[in-house]
Amino acid sequence: MPRWMPSASSIPPVLIVVLVGLPVFAALYAGIAAGDGATWDHILQNRLLPYTSTTLLTLLIAAIIMLGLAVPAAWMITQYEFPGRVFFSWALILPLAMPGYVMAYAWADLMGVAGPLQSQIRALTGLSARDYWFPDLFSAPGLAFVLASTLFPYVYITARAAFSMQSLATLEAARSLGASAMDLFWRVALPVARPSILGGLCLALMEAAADYGAADFLGVQTLGVGIIRSWTSFGEPNTAARLALMLVFIAGVLLVAARLTQGGRGVQQTSSRWLTPHRTKLPRTAAWAVCLICSIILLICFIAPVSRLAWLAAETGARATDLLPLLRATLLLGIFGTIMAFTAALVFTLAAKRSHALRLSTRLIAAAGYAAPGAVLGLGALYMLRETGQALSGIVAISLLVWIYVSRFTSAGVEPMQATLDRLPINLDNAARSLGSRGLVHFIRIDLPLLTPGALAAGLILFVEILKELPATLMLRPFGWDTLAVKAHAYATDERLAQATLPSLLIVLAGLLPVLLLSWRLSQTERS
Amino acid sequence: MSYRTHLIAGLSLLVGAVAACSNPGEPNDVEASADAESRVLTLYSSRHYDSDKELYAMFEAETGVKLDVREAGASQLLETMKAEGDQSPADIIIAADAGSLWRFKDAGLTQPLKSDALEALVPANYRAADNHWYGVARRMRGIAYDPNRWDPADLAQWGMLAMDDKAGEICVRSSSNIYNLSLMGEMIHRFGSEGAQAWATAIVANMARNPQGGDTDQIRAIAAGECSIAIVNHYYWVRLGASDKATDTQVAESTTFLFPEFADGSGSHVNITGAAVATTADDLGLAEQFIEFLLTETGQSYLTRDTKELPLLVGTPLPDGVDRLPSFTASDTALDVYGENQAEAQRLFDLAGWN
Repeated sequence: MPRWMPSASSIPPVLIVVLVGLPVFAALYAGIAAGDGATWDHILQNRLLPYTSTTLLTLLIAAIIMLGLAVPAAWMITQYEFPGRVFFSWALILPLAMPGYVMAYAWADLMGVAGPLQSQIRALTGLSARDYWFPDLFSAPGLAFVLASTLFPYVYITARAAFSMQSLATLEAARSLGASAMDLFWRVALPVARPSILGGLCLALMEAAADYGAADFLGVQTLGVGIIRSWTSFGEPNTAARLALMLVFIAGVLLVAARLTQGGRGVQQTSSRWLTPHRTKLPRTAAWAVCLICSIILLICFIAPVSRLAWLAAETGARATDLLPLLRATLLLGIFGTIMAFTAALVFTLAAKRSHALRLSTRLIAAAGYAAPGAVLGLGALYMLRETGQALSGIVAISLLVWIYVSRFTSAGVEPMQATLDRLPINLDNAARSLGSRGLVHFIRIDLPLLTPGALAAGLILFVEILKELPATLMLRPFGWDTLAVKAHAYATDERLAQATLPSLLIVLAGLLPVLLLSWRLSQTERS
Repeated sequence: MSYRTHLIAGLSLLVGAVAACSNPGEPNDVEASADAESRVLTLYSSRHYDSDKELYAMFEAETGVKLDVREAGASQLLETMKAEGDQSPADIIIAADAGSLWRFKDAGLTQPLKSDALEALVPANYRAADNHWYGVARRMRGIAYDPNRWDPADLAQWGMLAMDDKAGEICVRSSSNIYNLSLMGEMIHRFGSEGAQAWATAIVANMARNPQGGDTDQIRAIAAGECSIAIVNHYYWVRLGASDKATDTQVAESTTFLFPEFADGSGSHVNITGAAVATTADDLGLAEQFIEFLLTETGQSYLTRDTKELPLLVGTPLPDGVDRLPSFTASDTALDVYGENQAEAQRLFDLAGWN
């Protein structure tokens, strides 16, 4: 029987491809159909190149920072014993709970010319702000640093999983042939783990490219900023949507590039000998040095900005009671959104198992949604709303918003599940099928248990992403459904940063629980 | 039965659950029925102040009318209303910038409200000539400066900021900020595109740093010594002065505020928070009642108490801290100009290299 034939089984994936793709295409279509105007000419002639080059520069620096932080950390944590190893193994995922724009508020406050660091420098030296050099956060490298410090856990998670699931036999063989620790990392482990690491990096970069909040706050002219500017300053949402094509294109290139380096189904390991690798005990000094490095990463990417926010919140004595309805709306939307996006991602992943055509198309569609800024997808939703002749309220608004969550984040669910599948021997699946396993039984007894680690990661990443989502929620939420992100944004745009900290911290707290759960689960997988 | 059937069943269940969760306590969006008991007024507001919510609650308590409020950016609200078309529940549009109100009017989303009472309350300069919107509070864009460095006479006109002696002295936020766009809108109106672009180019040459952060950050940068002139809205400076934090009040005390003119005796740039009646509003009486409420002494004091905007109603007590501002004469430019020139303003900023 051919592996792929048009049948009833192809209906759900195709349906969900349409579901996920529709808002993106509604927006992009409106953008293309609108035709050229004076504004488009102006952007093409004067702004497109700077926007694009700034975006690419930011992404390049962010990629270097993320790889530099995540890969060595993941390697040391999976291969060596050192003080605090277990703690760092999960704690390094915590920055994922920080929305990029909140991270930007915190760092801008810390590093700004009137912030505590520079104020101290001036107080101690008696210099004026013009007399000394200080790293400029309000620049493309500054933005790259801010985004990388919240997004590097994507790379860390995938790198750690890849290193810990590596065939022990390969590493032992290399060791017995006299490979040094460095050789082992560069010549054996890294090439095998590369596809997974690039997958995580790809996801993180798409997310970074779609950012608007952090770039706008730091005054960096990325495509994300240009898109919103075309809409708000020029009053041309269609031009904004058209400019978003550029981001979708960049995402497509990233995905295809990652795919090319992976090749076929990636590295197939037929051996099930994923014994816990014997972790090397480091000499005392080296062990503490590694511990120090991990501490510094955690301090910079999580503890310092969160402490600063907590300090600001305490200083203003903001009341917490008003925040409960916000928390409720945030969690409800997070749960609805996660269930729907997870379902879409699951259908995509299972469909991809059966057909290469479906595999590529589902991933590209999901990536297009992930790469488009939330505001552009929100526009797509409004264009669809226009066709229905409904008001943006009640169930219509909630459905549209959840739809946009699905369209925007399915990719973040597909990638971890796909990565899990890619590492599993296909012969398990084939064996079950040859024994007559089909349909629901096959799904429950074979697919589900095999997918569990990836599926859990997917679900939790989706939940955290949706908690943090701002632009689409701001546009589409129905009356009375303000979320924590919406509130934090309202205070921040009014330049009441201190008041913005409490809802921001609550987003981090709400995101923390699933992140902890994810870390714990990953540690379990590692051990089993 | 395959698992897909289960998935589909699950999905339908979920949609049902979402529907059930859209919560009986939440306001529903049935248009205000003739029933006076359940009258609803829907506001689309680009403001998002906690003090506004207190004000809305007072209106509800006083009139028994229920207010539904959608807060988002003006551009987003505008697209939402376009998408909703006839079905939009919007009755009143509130925006914190005259240019934004013009955009709603230009898109055909507002209707004129002829009201003798409102015309008596709002000076002609602060409402649309065609009655499409009424100002309810004033917000001024001016400059904060280091008084040890500059004499007010050196800064009395916007053109003086473009002079060579200000090189490396100016801090200002990015050009896409609506208040910068509106200021530039008036520049274009007065000096033409060429004159306005030359001014913006000279300002860029005089900047101490790349545009970044918000208005408050620019004022703080003066205190830190990074620049000596900051182009900002008045209320950010007033709020710093009225803050509980000593570090904030020190910043305000070490700087002085000024409302530059465009030319000798031209008056200073004024902006407004204003209200317009949506085309989809059917109870014009109720809409008028609400805007009138904003222009009562209570309305004015709640609108301005925390925001530190300037009240429009003559005789309203000024919010704390506003008395530190110098007096000014308002420019007589029709505020609709800001909206008409907004896209051109951004284009010229882009050409001038004002990020």
